[in-house]
Amino acid sequence: MDVTFIQILMVTLWAFVIGIDQFNGLFHIHRPLVTGLVVGWILGDMQTGLITGATLELVAMGMVPLAGAQPPNMVIGGVIGVSFAIISKLPPEAAVAIAIPFAIAAQGCVTLIFTAFSPLMHKADRWADEGNTGALAMINYAGMFTHGAFFALVTFLPIYFGAASAQSIVEAVPAWILGGLGVAGGMMPAIGFAMLLKIMLKKEYIAFLLVGFILVTYFKISILGLAVLGACVALYDFYAHGSDDNGGSRIKQGVRTNGGI
Amino acid sequence: MAESNAAVRENPEYQDQSVKKVVTSSDLVTMVWRSLFLQASFNYERMQACGWLYGILPVLKKIHTNKEDLSKSLKMHLEFFNTHPFLVNFIMGLVVAMEESKKDQNTIRAIKVATMGPLGGIGDALCWLTLLPITAGLGASMAMGPDPNPAGPIIFLVLFNIAHFSLRFGLMRYGYYTGVKAIATMKEQTKKISHAASIIGLTVVGGLIASMIKLKLAWVIVVGQASIALQEKVFDAIMPNMLPFAYTLLMYYLLKKSYSPVKLILFTIVFGIAGKGIGIF
Repeated sequence: MDVTFIQILMVTLWAFVIGIDQFNGLFHIHRPLVTGLVVGWILGDMQTGLITGATLELVAMGMVPLAGAQPPNMVIGGVIGVSFAIISKLPPEAAVAIAIPFAIAAQGCVTLIFTAFSPLMHKADRWADEGNTGALAMINYAGMFTHGAFFALVTFLPIYFGAASAQSIVEAVPAWILGGLGVAGGMMPAIGFAMLLKIMLKKEYIAFLLVGFILVTYFKISILGLAVLGACVALYDFYAHGSDDNGGSRIKQGVRTNGGI
Repeated sequence: MAESNAAVRENPEYQDQSVKKVVTSSDLVTMVWRSLFLQASFNYERMQACGWLYGILPVLKKIHTNKEDLSKSLKMHLEFFNTHPFLVNFIMGLVVAMEESKKDQNTIRAIKVATMGPLGGIGDALCWLTLLPITAGLGASMAMGPDPNPAGPIIFLVLFNIAHFSLRFGLMRYGYYTGVKAIATMKEQTKKISHAASIIGLTVVGGLIASMIKLKLAWVIVVGQASIALQEKVFDAIMPNMLPFAYTLLMYYLLKKSYSPVKLILFTIVFGIAGKGIGIF
């Protein structure tokens, strides 16, 4: 099927919008299911769009952004998959096979965007010092624009230049680079936790850090369960080590009585 | 940075201790809308911190009319923050109530850290593993098949967002009014509360280190006929999650040696790609 340049631009615009929605807003118009309807309508084949979108949706369902994990980016997967299913008249399953490499490559690039925004945080610290709230807000607008623009670009290029040439470019990137970005993304939360520790950790809290780590490692306790347990200890600590002297002397007396018996 | 400035910043108390009720119902609504941008500036160093700050920015300006206090508050809210993007509204309500009553920064920080982890976990289970599969599954089943129905995606969006925004608005109000009530009763015991919240917070951080950091070796050492998978046979046998913990400690150590977080991020990327390249990961 031949597509007009206007249609490609409209699909690109949709990619811009959902590139923003997947991180901000989260109205969930970025799901492949919705993309199937919209891109299907733009490219004039709603039937194929809906079926392909729904197929991709079921694939995407298992790939949720759970803490720290880096699933393939099915937002890009959805746009590319639905577009090629309609343009190249592919069955939905083949569209999934085309979409996945793009989804993996896009996720690698998302890792880079998240990295590139880190140095800005030090500028933000300075603006916070100066009380420059306008600049602090601007960082967020710039971030959203970056997300949208990146997704628009990644959508525009393969559709404009055609599936075959686009796929060969994606495959030209060695797998170990994309894989390595994934590994780095998985390790990245360690830096955030280390920064929290630098602010909060005092000697008397080291034991609690270890207890939390060990309970999750060996007993697979959920974070909520862990928090409740931590709250129990905190509650005990709160009432047992009161600032009043009575509590302390009562304990001492108890020890003495025991010794006497 | 001048010494005196640092001293002011070290002090967890706000200079202006006068408590005025400035947060209105419509401020809570505004914060819900702004909280949609929680991840706008998401990055590996602070994660949602700057987006979180964006959400509460206008209210902080209303609360802290003292310039020093405002920049102090802005700086604190730029520290590492990461939670579930829907349930964040509960923490927002709570924290804004605490800011409004001029709690000291250690307590506010400890409450943020103690709540962000568990809410992240609840949110994942509630939204990504329950709400989303149910609504999207319903929509997809309508859009599939020999006779695809365009209403499928629309029904998905409507159902999902009814739940989504009920959660957001409900939790914002709930967080704020809980906070206001709780703070009134715990006025005198700030230090003890900060201590207690730190205990919860660090326990949770310990658990997050074990569950959120993904670092496993794919390295297999071949000795003659035998092959040893380092991860399963060695590291997991000593202690699972040993490597994530060790890596966090390394980052902590390097931060204390005043390496910048950006350096650590670049180091992590190079480490990941190089490790994958030579087959360690």
